[in-house]
Amino acid sequence: MKHTLLCVFISILSMNTIMAQMPHDQIYMNKNIACGALMYGNSSWTNYWENSLKRDNPNIGKLSTESLSAMIAYGITKKVNALVMVPYVKTQASQGNLMGQQGFQDVSLWLKAQVFNYKQLHGHATLGISTPMSNYVTEFMPMAIGIGAKTFSARAILHYNLPSNLFISATGSYIVRSQVTVDRDSYLNGEKLVNSGSVAVPNAFDAMFRMGYIKKENQLEVFAEHFSCVGGDNIRRNSMPFLTNDMTMTAVGAYAKYQPKSLGVSAKVSYVLDGQNAGQSTNVTVGLLYLFKVK
Amino acid sequence: MKKYIYYFITFLCFSFLLSCENTASEALLSPYVPANIDENAGSWKTFVLSSPTEVSIAAPVGTNDPTYLKEIDSLKNIVAPNLTNEQRQIVAYWGAGAVFRWNEIARELSARYNSAPAANAEGKYPVPDATNPLADPKFPFANPPYVSRALAYLSVAQFDALVSAWKYKYQYNRQAPGNVDKAIKPLLPMSNLPSYPSEDAVVGQASYVILLAMFPGEGPFLKSKLEECKNARLWAGMNVSSDINAGVSLGAGVAAKVMVKAKADGMGAANNQAATSDMITRSKSLGFTKVWTSQESPARPPMLPTFGNVKTWNFDRATLEAIRPAIPYIEGSAEFKKDYEELVEVDKNQTREQAAIANFWADGPGTYTPPGHWHRYGANAGFEAKYSEVRMARMLAYLGTAEMDAGIGCWDTKYYYYSPRPQQYGLKTSVGLPNFPSYTSGHSTFSAAGAEVLSAFFPQKASTFNSYAQQASDSRVYGLIHWRLDCTMGLKHGKTIGQYAVKRASQDGAL
Repeated sequence: MKHTLLCVFISILSMNTIMAQMPHDQIYMNKNIACGALMYGNSSWTNYWENSLKRDNPNIGKLSTESLSAMIAYGITKKVNALVMVPYVKTQASQGNLMGQQGFQDVSLWLKAQVFNYKQLHGHATLGISTPMSNYVTEFMPMAIGIGAKTFSARAILHYNLPSNLFISATGSYIVRSQVTVDRDSYLNGEKLVNSGSVAVPNAFDAMFRMGYIKKENQLEVFAEHFSCVGGDNIRRNSMPFLTNDMTMTAVGAYAKYQPKSLGVSAKVSYVLDGQNAGQSTNVTVGLLYLFKVK
Repeated sequence: MKKYIYYFITFLCFSFLLSCENTASEALLSPYVPANIDENAGSWKTFVLSSPTEVSIAAPVGTNDPTYLKEIDSLKNIVAPNLTNEQRQIVAYWGAGAVFRWNEIARELSARYNSAPAANAEGKYPVPDATNPLADPKFPFANPPYVSRALAYLSVAQFDALVSAWKYKYQYNRQAPGNVDKAIKPLLPMSNLPSYPSEDAVVGQASYVILLAMFPGEGPFLKSKLEECKNARLWAGMNVSSDINAGVSLGAGVAAKVMVKAKADGMGAANNQAATSDMITRSKSLGFTKVWTSQESPARPPMLPTFGNVKTWNFDRATLEAIRPAIPYIEGSAEFKKDYEELVEVDKNQTREQAAIANFWADGPGTYTPPGHWHRYGANAGFEAKYSEVRMARMLAYLGTAEMDAGIGCWDTKYYYYSPRPQQYGLKTSVGLPNFPSYTSGHSTFSAAGAEVLSAFFPQKASTFNSYAQQASDSRVYGLIHWRLDCTMGLKHGKTIGQYAVKRASQDGAL
């Protein structure tokens, strides 16, 4: 029986938000096969977009977000897989006096299913939910480790196999984000002062285009990704970001995975080219993968 | 078969997405008949007016006069039958009370304008320009002293104008349209308060004048709110046009007098950066080995170093100096070391609860600041107690003047000692560091003054307000930006300042 490894990576694209990415490929874990992964991520930015103004901030210097995540993917059936991920996140600013934050962030669960096959074209869908694992501080941005919202996401993946193990793939997803209760009892949303601690975090969508080489468990690809909120306000002049902000990012990157046996490694790098209300981050994630059979 | 299940799941999931709207809604407040309409408010002592009739208004025509009957007819046959839903919503909004809503509007503007100027390419911080308020940096930078002052003048103008309005209401005793003509069905609960001049128009016009002076870039916004405030009374069938027009005239006249006082209170000279070198010299002569320095990069000039010279409301200059808190602990003393160690412990092991308290009371950039926070609690308490418009304005005027006095007293203290912040000893902060000297804590001073005044007005809530003040004070230690002594002494100072406002209130004839 061929064990195929399902690979997962996380991309820390936003200023604080850790966004878990589902596998975008056509491979599935076979029934009762699991893949465990341990991933270290480092995301940092010196420049950011205050609304659309690109600037640096000597009172922050370089803002770094490090994460350590544990992930398990499991084959429920050959065509339906489940994934769970738990990240621990730590932030730090190289200058100024803002206190770094750390803690367990949001636990995520996804179900991924193959929806159709037509010759070389494959369609997949994933459903995901996430919820904060701890009552971490969300309003102390950009130091906060996450946005604190429960999320529900749906993703559609189209994958097309080319000759010589090459492929192209397109992905679109929509992320519904719940209200967040902050510690304070009022905040500005755009020009409106809301006299409540309940914050409507804008929903978001994400689109991705990938191309690369894949053969058995080994993979090499490049990608471009665009993340944007549906509505939201902008960072005010010379002010800190907030949960209501309409974050937008366009990034490019590369991903590679090598797994000769049950042990494997993966690496991902990405860089934000353009954005709004977001950091121009450089993201690096390296992972250690381990494939095993359950039962 | 299986694939249909997947189609179904996909369909379900997108339906869920489309149906999911996340909005943070706020409760709409229901209008009330005041617990007491305060018939005698026309004789209450005002802050700025020398007498309640210092600004005069014309006598109204009688309710049998054809001009008046035409106004009544217009309410009945033109306004009421053509009301739109949008107009009804505006009526419901203003039904919470004009004083309540204008206070809320002022807090919103405060939050919107609470951004420190950004450094320019030369590393300098441009000073906001009142004659070009919407340029970058916007004018004003609505920091805590600025907001304390804006809200003080707003509430004082509302109060004086309403005392005057009450005087005329009972002098002319013209009844409300709904009482004159039973065919008029007002949309808001009605009392027996005479309606000439309209209290809402008085408050609206006075508020408009003060807020336009404080937020000069907001002319169109304020104008639209003023129009709403006045029209809502016609749409609701609560006032006729001549009630409104007389209110506008009175509100404008009183606000102009309050602005004369505002322009002469010394605020124009509150940002005298040239005064800081003498302040530093004095600090060193008092024994401070380390004085306050800006921790921002590039270094930012301190916030309003001479705000302490601005004229106070409820006590004089000699009193301000007499009640100034004593010199704080200086580096090298055992007491200083103890305060330092408390902060080091928080730095290492800040609990989630401490962080929450620090965040709740932070009231930093982009918020209405601590004076705004206390005005909100005051306005809400007055609403719950079903205060009349004039009693609401009175309570907020004492609260507002106490907050401004607290700002002046605290800023005087801060620049008298020019003491260093904990961040000058390597500590971080979980809320952001204000750019002015440490001792005493502004939050503690504002909060104790606020709690003292509100406790006098709402004795049954005194323990709540006092615990709020204590928590607001503690929050600055939990956020690591103040020494414990800054907070305890600030609380004490603020309480004393609040007592002067309470004493003044006890002598204004309203109790």
